[in-house]
Amino acid sequence: MRKDKNTAGRDKNTTINPFVRGAVTILGNEKHQSISIPLFAILLSLLAGAIVILFLGKNPIDSFISLLQGSGILPKAQYAAKKNMLTDFLSMINSLTPMIFAALAVAVALKTGLFNIGISGQMLVAGFAATVTVGYSNLPMAAALPLVLVVGIVFGGAVGALIGWLKHRFNINEVVSSIMLNYIFQYIISFFINSYYMNPVTRQSRQVSAAARLTLTDVELYGLKMDIPLGFILTIPVAFLVLFLLNKTRLGYELKIVGLNRKAAKYAGIKVGKSMVISMAISGALAGLAGVTLYLGTFASIQPRVLTSVGFDSIAVCLLGNAHPIGILFSSLLITIISKGGNYMSSMVGIPQEIAQVITGLILLFSACGAYIRYRVELAKENIGNGKLRIENNGEGGQK
Amino acid sequence: MDEYIVEMRHITKRFPGVVANDDVSVSIKKGEIFALLGENGAGKSTLMSMLFGMYEPDEGEIFIRGKKVKITSPAQATQLNIGMVHQHFKLVENYTITENIVLGQEPPSRFMGFLPSVDIKGSNKKIAELSKRYGLEVDPRKKIEDISVSTRQRVEILKMLYREAEILIFDEPTAVLTPQEIEFLLDIIRELRNSGKTIILITHKLEEIKKVADRCAILNRGKLVGVLDVASTTTKTMANMMVGREVSFKIEKNPANFGPEVLNVAGLTVKNQDGLQVVKNVSFSVRRGEIFAIAGVSGNGQIEVADAITGLIPASGGTISLNGNDITNSGVRERTVAGISYIPEDRQEVGLVLDFSLAENLAMKKYFREPFCEKGILNNEAFEEHGKRLIEEYDIRSGQGISTTVRSMSGGNQQKAIVAREIELSSELMIFVQPTRGLDIGAIENIHRQILAQRDAGRAILLISLELDEIIGLADTIGVMYNGEMLNIAPAETLTANQVGEYMMGVKAE
Repeated sequence: MRKDKNTAGRDKNTTINPFVRGAVTILGNEKHQSISIPLFAILLSLLAGAIVILFLGKNPIDSFISLLQGSGILPKAQYAAKKNMLTDFLSMINSLTPMIFAALAVAVALKTGLFNIGISGQMLVAGFAATVTVGYSNLPMAAALPLVLVVGIVFGGAVGALIGWLKHRFNINEVVSSIMLNYIFQYIISFFINSYYMNPVTRQSRQVSAAARLTLTDVELYGLKMDIPLGFILTIPVAFLVLFLLNKTRLGYELKIVGLNRKAAKYAGIKVGKSMVISMAISGALAGLAGVTLYLGTFASIQPRVLTSVGFDSIAVCLLGNAHPIGILFSSLLITIISKGGNYMSSMVGIPQEIAQVITGLILLFSACGAYIRYRVELAKENIGNGKLRIENNGEGGQK
Repeated sequence: MDEYIVEMRHITKRFPGVVANDDVSVSIKKGEIFALLGENGAGKSTLMSMLFGMYEPDEGEIFIRGKKVKITSPAQATQLNIGMVHQHFKLVENYTITENIVLGQEPPSRFMGFLPSVDIKGSNKKIAELSKRYGLEVDPRKKIEDISVSTRQRVEILKMLYREAEILIFDEPTAVLTPQEIEFLLDIIRELRNSGKTIILITHKLEEIKKVADRCAILNRGKLVGVLDVASTTTKTMANMMVGREVSFKIEKNPANFGPEVLNVAGLTVKNQDGLQVVKNVSFSVRRGEIFAIAGVSGNGQIEVADAITGLIPASGGTISLNGNDITNSGVRERTVAGISYIPEDRQEVGLVLDFSLAENLAMKKYFREPFCEKGILNNEAFEEHGKRLIEEYDIRSGQGISTTVRSMSGGNQQKAIVAREIELSSELMIFVQPTRGLDIGAIENIHRQILAQRDAGRAILLISLELDEIIGLADTIGVMYNGEMLNIAPAETLTANQVGEYMMGVKAE
């Protein structure tokens, strides 16, 4: 029956460009817009990426397939010894884990109307603190792993809270203070690594003990050698926890009011300053989780004087996921697949790895256009609406 | 046929859940003042927004000067010599008056002979001339942030005149003005008509229509009820047609029955952000069952008194006590819980979270208590039930019930939502600031009745209003504030409206 109605509508609407009409029907549904618009943005960016690849004289389909192969979603033609699709997939998951935590960190602050651009710095502090306290200790795994997480959460949270407090107490814009703190922590930690913890060969901090590492490396299983990212087990529960916090708790309700209208929050009796400190502390704690899963998981050491790009990419990943914890799970996955598969794509199709970066960049760029796409859809909807209404009225009259 | 400059025929406009305009036809003659009268949400603003190109009608046709037109944008409306002053002004705060007026149509010039720039000097002159010609005195070089609300409105009018508008739409122009400013504006409107402009006045204030309008169209719930010749109609008839039932202008009041003192303010002093004293040594008290009204011209410290009592701004001197307990240094939440309800002056900026649903807004002062929240976890059902009950009891109209985003509701219904929420707190002290600002007669009557019911139920009520009629009609005790000081406090029955008016102007000071 639904089919009939659709075709009837289409026949009568020949005057309107069917492509536009189709796009508007799909994107215009407000209930699904939070999903359909990011998907549309991704589609646009892949198209743009395909054009770039075409210009290089390569086949875009092959390229995209090789992206998926490189990140363990599709099987490769051949594998090295003790490697297969599963090992590739786990390796991708290994990089995905910190991205999810970092993007969740951005989301919590964003919902309170704060822009935490200091994720990278908070990650570094958490990672460094966990490295020197637990990573270089002789603790057995059963004690070390929970401790790593706790140290990460506490230190990340403390830095976040500091930024929130600076804003509350001295009205220092959180963007400024977090960028400055990024530098301060980056160089202080570099100083300590260079002075006390340096491995002279790798020019990085000494490796943490295997017992303290959140990723089990080179595990021999079913004749394969794989990395098992334990931290990943936490990502999905934490995402749901954040969702629960924001939508179902008193604290989340208060944070959202502060984010939407500070004057109204004060009027409702909410302590705005306290809420901002709490929000930044939670955001920092999540960044701390990202930090330990990166520096004591994906890697086992810290490169001095370098801030990880994860903290910055996570801002765009968060926006692509509509700052919604579940959306973030998917947007993190997408971005990680592309950046992880880029290596393989460049070797297989002969596309420079930079192009994979370009595509990631394009996706993030288009994701920021979500609001613009929504606006265009509304506009088109109104135009079509004017015509459609008349037609529907006629149609209904006829049926009756 | 040329007699009509604007004709709107069979206009229908639907929004999700509501029909804002249902087959409305109006025709407006050149050179008349045509009023559109109706309750909040009756569809007046929507109808005019379509004439100004902000919406397009779903059905119906618009004719301008006898020609059929399709107006798709305000820019196009401007080309057709249509101008509109919106209820909420659309001005750039840190630009000068001239810059705001020429914005979008800047006269070009060359800086140092070649750099493209805007001819501000010439524009200043032109604006000064324009303002003189129409009696709209402004200083073109002043920045918007430094000028008063009524001057901002003049800037909006000048903006239309600069664009050579012939058809001027005013959307509730007097809602933000004091009585004196209203008189002045009405003079300006008459002046504009006399110089050949066509004026469309959206309002729900009957006296204004009676004073200036030639004809008046009445809308009720999106439908056109009738078009009247104002001179031959009484305000009573117009009111009845607008509301769709008999309305009484008189406020029926039971005799007062004062109980013990609830609020005591002693020597209250408040400083604003610049360190200036905006409230100077103000003392008064409010008893149970009493409506204490503070009268005063806008900006004389009344709002700050309310904000200080509720804890939104700190008191720099004096004490505030509620039921004998000193609350001068308590937090906002403590005061709410101790028994203060507050309907703030600014609904959208302070009283509501516009992007939250109606249910969430209605629970904004209670969410932290059971049953809304248990051990930090929110109970959605409690929010929904509470929301549904209040919508029902207070007749809050919205497109999608409790899940409506408050931003999409009409101003009157937003106000109803705040009033409902604050009365539901059953606080011992209720502070109403401008509770009926921007509301129509039906809604005003309703809110007045609710205020009186609360008083009769033994609550202490502090009413702050710019409307003298409201104060005279409701108050048991009247205090008049002028320049931050409480000039006079007296039982309402010992004062006439004229006397209060004189105090408001500071005439009887010393």
